[in-house]
Amino acid sequence: MIVFSAAILWYTRMARQGKSLFLRKIPGLNAVEEAVGRATEMGRPVLFIPGIQELDEIQTIAGISILGRVAKITAQYETPLMVPVRYPLVLAAGQEVVEQSYIEMGKGDSYDQDMVRYVAGEQFAFTANVNGYMMREKPATNIYMGAFFAESLLLAETGNAAGSIQIAGTAQPEQLPFFIAACDYTLMGEELYAASAYLSHEPVMLGGLKGQDLLKMIITILIIVGVILVSLGFGDTFISWFNAV
Amino acid sequence: MNIWERMEKIDRRWIYLLVAIAVIIPFIIPVRFPVSVTPETKDIYDYIQAMPDSSVVILSFDYYPSTLAETQPMAIAAMNQFFRKDMKVITLSNIPLGGPSLAELVTREVAKEYHKVYGIDYVNLGYKANYVAVLKGMGTSIESIFPTDNSGTPLKDLPLMHKVKNYSDVKFIFDIADNATADYWVSIVNAGYGVPMAVGATAVMAPKLYAYVGAKQIVGLLGGMKGAAEYEILLNKRASAFRGMDVQSLVHFLIIALVILGNVGYFAGRRYRRKAGL
Amino acid sequence: MKTLAPVAIAFISGIILVVSFFFNESTTFVGGLSEEILVWVTIVGGFTLLLGVVSITRVNLAAVRARKENWVYRLITLISIFAMAIPSVFPSSWSPLFGRQTGSIYDWLFVTMDMPMMATMFATLSFYIASAAYRAFRARNAEATLLLVTAVLVMLWRVPIGEAFLNLFPGHIPQLINEYVMNGVNLAVQRGIIIGAALGAAAMSLRIILGIERTYMGRG
Repeated sequence: MIVFSAAILWYTRMARQGKSLFLRKIPGLNAVEEAVGRATEMGRPVLFIPGIQELDEIQTIAGISILGRVAKITAQYETPLMVPVRYPLVLAAGQEVVEQSYIEMGKGDSYDQDMVRYVAGEQFAFTANVNGYMMREKPATNIYMGAFFAESLLLAETGNAAGSIQIAGTAQPEQLPFFIAACDYTLMGEELYAASAYLSHEPVMLGGLKGQDLLKMIITILIIVGVILVSLGFGDTFISWFNAV
Repeated sequence: MNIWERMEKIDRRWIYLLVAIAVIIPFIIPVRFPVSVTPETKDIYDYIQAMPDSSVVILSFDYYPSTLAETQPMAIAAMNQFFRKDMKVITLSNIPLGGPSLAELVTREVAKEYHKVYGIDYVNLGYKANYVAVLKGMGTSIESIFPTDNSGTPLKDLPLMHKVKNYSDVKFIFDIADNATADYWVSIVNAGYGVPMAVGATAVMAPKLYAYVGAKQIVGLLGGMKGAAEYEILLNKRASAFRGMDVQSLVHFLIIALVILGNVGYFAGRRYRRKAGL
Repeated sequence: MKTLAPVAIAFISGIILVVSFFFNESTTFVGGLSEEILVWVTIVGGFTLLLGVVSITRVNLAAVRARKENWVYRLITLISIFAMAIPSVFPSSWSPLFGRQTGSIYDWLFVTMDMPMMATMFATLSFYIASAAYRAFRARNAEATLLLVTAVLVMLWRVPIGEAFLNLFPGHIPQLINEYVMNGVNLAVQRGIIIGAALGAAAMSLRIILGIERTYMGRG
């Protein structure tokens, strides 16, 4: 916990001091602006779903953060945006985020409160409503960013049938195969959490990502050391270090 | 369109029709293929069998009605094994939509068969919001979280709950889930209080839960309808999951055939286009 | 103040929840604080349900009044919401039709309409999986071929007739799939994704607690 926090704070400080931090390309995120541009050219809306979990789920917060970025692009291009949500708290947060994005882009008058709407509290009622919307309105771009469960394939396949370009991101390992099979771009696991920092290019946010990578490297080294020690018969000694901590 | 392009781009409506036929046929012509048992299912069965009779166990109904076909047979089979060993069963649910109703349905149906008495042999605590708080709170006192059972009867009026105050009085937890609550049971209850656990989950969730089996955080895993069918076979009580294996077999074969067809169309079509200079 | 207050609330509540994890919740004040906060979250969540009802009512009522396309379905939506909600709010002591126990209007609507519809929606997954698998499992490159072969083997392994088919070949293929694919490669990959996602979540949470990440508020 302490090492983790220290790593994040250290890299954030480095970023604030102006040091450039390398970030590998994430194709799905690079495609967001292009996908919204496609929707603008076709005169069709962008559909954004920030997951189907409550606001206390960290993936939903990540999804809402990305929504803010996407809303800035749709405001800039004046592309219709539709954000169906499953929970009232997510509705409130989504409306606030989208409104703020439109105001920052100088398009406050284009903002409509019903862009973000509460659809249904039940998983499949939500899915049925969104699927119906997809088949009727045929959005050009579907962006799924957040926590999804069984409805992931229902949404993605319907979007595919409607001819939409689809970008998905989730940290639910069991839903990743469905998104990979049905979507054009998929963000896996922590790429979803990195999206906000990646799209904003803010040094401070990038610093947080680098700190996280440092901890992952430490864990990887510990795993390799552990595998070697266990293979040599010192497994109990290795495990006792952690029990002591 | 030439034949290769047709094979490569079959209209999805034909695929849906074929799937519908593949689902219907086994109901008309049942075959009942033999089902082999995986170690993950056997481990659950063996663990429960080895437990002392009359142990207190928790069975959590954490699934939505949408996944009934996969998860309900698991719950029914688990209740059967518990009642055969005269275990005392406490049921609850972390799912507001239908969880307590499903628990009532299953427990009362199975209890009738074994002549079990509510309040003495089994209790349904019902549902309480905020499952993180519920799972943590039950570690201190079950009554503080569930002052009454699902029907509104105070716990102090239920003889079974006189001897069950918190997790230390519970010998085993079986969570049947189709969502992330299984992760919370493992990370909060098993990790924090050391209560042995098993999980029954939908086939989609099962691959992720192998990590818990490998780390010995759960004694075993029932994965989807196949897992439920395996459990039914071990209990010698073949029911809906076992019957569903015919449908699953045929649909899997159909999907494999379509995948092969698609690939044949893809490769042959690619060669055809190359030869034709397209 | 408009920016500072939410950041301060996020910081205080986040720090309390992190610190209280290390204290015994039943014997210490700090440890018990986390349970208190979780209760507050539930209460606030209950109030926000009203937001959702207002939103869905406003959108659909406006569409019905303006007789927009498919307004009849929107009217059915509104009727369904209130037909289920209103009887369930009244106490069951007034009538067995009220409340949410077995035999009430709420329970009847849930069991006879909601449950079958939920199961139907879930069942449509089987059709969508078939069309998605047909479209996606093409051996375009090495990775796609590996995905295709693994998927076919696991699909065969998970059904009795497939297992019998695999047993025709020498080498105990079903046991190998269970041992090396499900408990080997799959387990390792799932752990990797879970660890990565958990670290990502922890980092994002830390950024939110420290006020570095503010996009969820609509600012920054």
